[in-house]
Amino acid sequence: MTRLRRFLAACLDPAVGLALAALYVALLLATTKDLGYARDEGFYFQAARSYEAWFDLLFRSPKAAFDRGAIDRFWSANNEHPALIKSLFALSHKLLHLEWKLIRDEGTSFRFPGMLLSGLAVAVTYLWGRRVSGRLAGLVAAVSLAMMPRVFYHAHLDCFDMPVAAMWLFTTYAYWRSVSGGGWVWALFTGVLYGLLLNTKHNSWLLPPALVAHFVIARGEGIWRELRAGQIRAPLALVCMALIGPTLFYALWPWIWHDTGRRLAAYVAFHTGHEYYNMEFLGRTYWKPPMPLGYAWLMTLGTVPAITLLLFLIGLGRAALRAHQVRLFGLSRALARRLGRPEPARASAEDRALFSTELLWLLCILTSYAPWLSKGTPIFGGTKHWITAYPFLCLFAAQAFLMLTRAVTSLLAERPRALRVAADVGLAACVTAAPVAIGLGSHPWGLSAYTPIVGGAPGAATLGLNRTFWGYTTGAVQGFLNERAPQGAAVFIHDTAGQSWDQMVRDGRLRSDLRAAWAPAQSNVALYHHEPHMLRVDYQIWVDYGSVAPAHVGTHDGVPVIWVYLRP
Amino acid sequence: MPDKRLLWLAVPLAGLVELGAQHWVAHRAPHVDEWAKLREPVAALRQAGELVVVAPGWADPLARQAFGDALMPLRDVARPDESGYARAIEVSILGERAPELRGWRTVAEAKSGRFTLRTLENPKAERVTFDFVDHVKPDALAVFEGTQPCAWNAHAPVSNGSLGGNPTFPAQRFMCPGGEWFFAGVTVIDDDHEYRPRRCIWAHPPPSGPLRLRFANVPLGKKIRGYGGMPWVLFRDSVGAPPIELEVRVGGQSLGVYVHKDELGWSPFSFETGREGQSAEVEIEVRSSSIKDRHFCFQADSR
Repeated sequence: MTRLRRFLAACLDPAVGLALAALYVALLLATTKDLGYARDEGFYFQAARSYEAWFDLLFRSPKAAFDRGAIDRFWSANNEHPALIKSLFALSHKLLHLEWKLIRDEGTSFRFPGMLLSGLAVAVTYLWGRRVSGRLAGLVAAVSLAMMPRVFYHAHLDCFDMPVAAMWLFTTYAYWRSVSGGGWVWALFTGVLYGLLLNTKHNSWLLPPALVAHFVIARGEGIWRELRAGQIRAPLALVCMALIGPTLFYALWPWIWHDTGRRLAAYVAFHTGHEYYNMEFLGRTYWKPPMPLGYAWLMTLGTVPAITLLLFLIGLGRAALRAHQVRLFGLSRALARRLGRPEPARASAEDRALFSTELLWLLCILTSYAPWLSKGTPIFGGTKHWITAYPFLCLFAAQAFLMLTRAVTSLLAERPRALRVAADVGLAACVTAAPVAIGLGSHPWGLSAYTPIVGGAPGAATLGLNRTFWGYTTGAVQGFLNERAPQGAAVFIHDTAGQSWDQMVRDGRLRSDLRAAWAPAQSNVALYHHEPHMLRVDYQIWVDYGSVAPAHVGTHDGVPVIWVYLRP
Repeated sequence: MPDKRLLWLAVPLAGLVELGAQHWVAHRAPHVDEWAKLREPVAALRQAGELVVVAPGWADPLARQAFGDALMPLRDVARPDESGYARAIEVSILGERAPELRGWRTVAEAKSGRFTLRTLENPKAERVTFDFVDHVKPDALAVFEGTQPCAWNAHAPVSNGSLGGNPTFPAQRFMCPGGEWFFAGVTVIDDDHEYRPRRCIWAHPPPSGPLRLRFANVPLGKKIRGYGGMPWVLFRDSVGAPPIELEVRVGGQSLGVYVHKDELGWSPFSFETGREGQSAEVEIEVRSSSIKDRHFCFQADSR
């Protein structure tokens, strides 16, 4: 092979990964205009603007920017979450919208970093799947992740949920590369990425236990010998995470540069003692503990395409067999001897490596879901709270897809190679077609979308699963409002945050003469975003407007999600 | 013996089945335009006083949009229960039935597109002789805060407080001297059954003595019965707050006292009148040892 061909071959997979990322970002950009701004996006727009003002000051007068007064003034906004992603929102707005004019809409410029990180998550899922399971399996993993309806929804947003899933994945991938012979560069990289992850969202607190558990379990019995000898050697990546992570976390979050202890304690307290919100689950609204333990599992079942889950389970099952082979070889051998059966084969080096990889994936999934093993963990926010697990779920699915292609290829062993390749491609199409249809079909109703296994949106509504939250579906009725709201109308915006409404007006998505109202009594037009505990707002409108008949109902697959009243 | 590897073909097949299922679930529920076309058949079917119920309940907003207030008026949509209705039209999709009409007799059934329209009869219907909520008007009712009259206002300032605030304080109400929150008027609150709507008379106990509602010439049935409740989302965590008492008097004679505790939710009461077929003044008195956050609302009728 010539050097050029080797170079091209080495570039192929990164190029495929980047192409996937670019395609995904392009798809997100193309579909962002009819997705209204969620409540939390409104708060992050506000925070990003504040941080942007600090960056302006930093570029203009660095000394003044580091003054405590300036830091407190600009960084106190939304200080219950760390700064990295909001800083990216701010810089994207400043550079891509205001200065370089590459993105026309302000709101889209705020959203762009989240889209980019989501695209990179798809790329890294591909690259990891490619390394472990092959190119086509990597593609299956990437498409499966990208097209999960909830992933597709959150990937659009100016929020932290897909960014934290992406950063978790990047960090874990770097860790895996470092412990798979990648050397100190990947270890260093892991430390840096962990610092960024810490600065993304508090899910980051769960990753070190997963990685330490991975180290201990993957080392197996050897670790006890090392412990007895007092010579335990932690992976360099873990050391880098411990040293670089907190340093970078501190360095990139100006809010904690002063009064560090108190502000960090407040940050931790906010999330460990988070207030409870309402969430409907199986026909009942939960607003305080005990929360239902089946919530995370059933919501996963209802929102992740069944074919992806099936592949995941097959991949997990194979991993369990491999773990048994690798870890319990001695026991199996002793048992076989005692029973007079043939001795089992010793696990190959490849199996041992795969065991380590699959263990890492499994631990990432388990730690992502672990908080929902407690009845005290709030269930508001739904699937986004364990969204960090989904790339790993797809990587297991890729392993299963590899098994599938091997089985089918062996059936076609006598047939021409072209047919075998076509069969592989056909299999990939078969296992990704439904996720693509479900993912694209969910837009712009991401949080209302459910998979066929629970009967889709109608089935979920009948089961009493949450239909929407965050007030973002105002974007789905923007056309009706622009067309039918009276000139200068006051619109009761219900669950949409004021900042989110304002951003829609600034982006020209809503008529500039429309203004937000905070109670139905102050309005000519009233929105209602459905959640059972919100129904009292619907009733307020009925009595106030003297009518129970909405003028417009926004539906997803025939299920009402948002409705609009016009004052008679 | 068949090759076990063939079992693997179940995986791509499962993917294709899910693809087909996705297409099916996405199109199985009727869409807005189909609901709009249903108005005429339902209007032709419904007689005055008949209830229109949608199954499953989540499709209710689509029915309200399509049928309008004429076929689904507020008093029906926010009914206290179904016991006062003799007949109902059930609009059913996806093979669902309305649980509140369970036990009712189907007298007619017809298909209209993807809808099933059923006419049902209530085997235990009770004829309502007087609905107090329908008579919160100056020609039928006088209201007092203690001994002070609460003045009728047909154009009072309307207020409502969104999720955490008060239910709508209506434009037409008897306004008591105690302030904005103290009046008798018809509004809708959310109840303890997953926040269903209940049309009722707002009767927050006022500061200067009990709230008294005197209805003149009420045609009495065998009993006066109804429900008391408070906005559930606001009071669902409230335990041990001072209870609210509702006393019913007919011709000056007490029929009994209903004691409402916050945690009861939308809770029934019933008193025998002993004067069935007669007409008399009915006084309903609402009181509590505390007036703090006693957002009481009640429905009552005689039957």
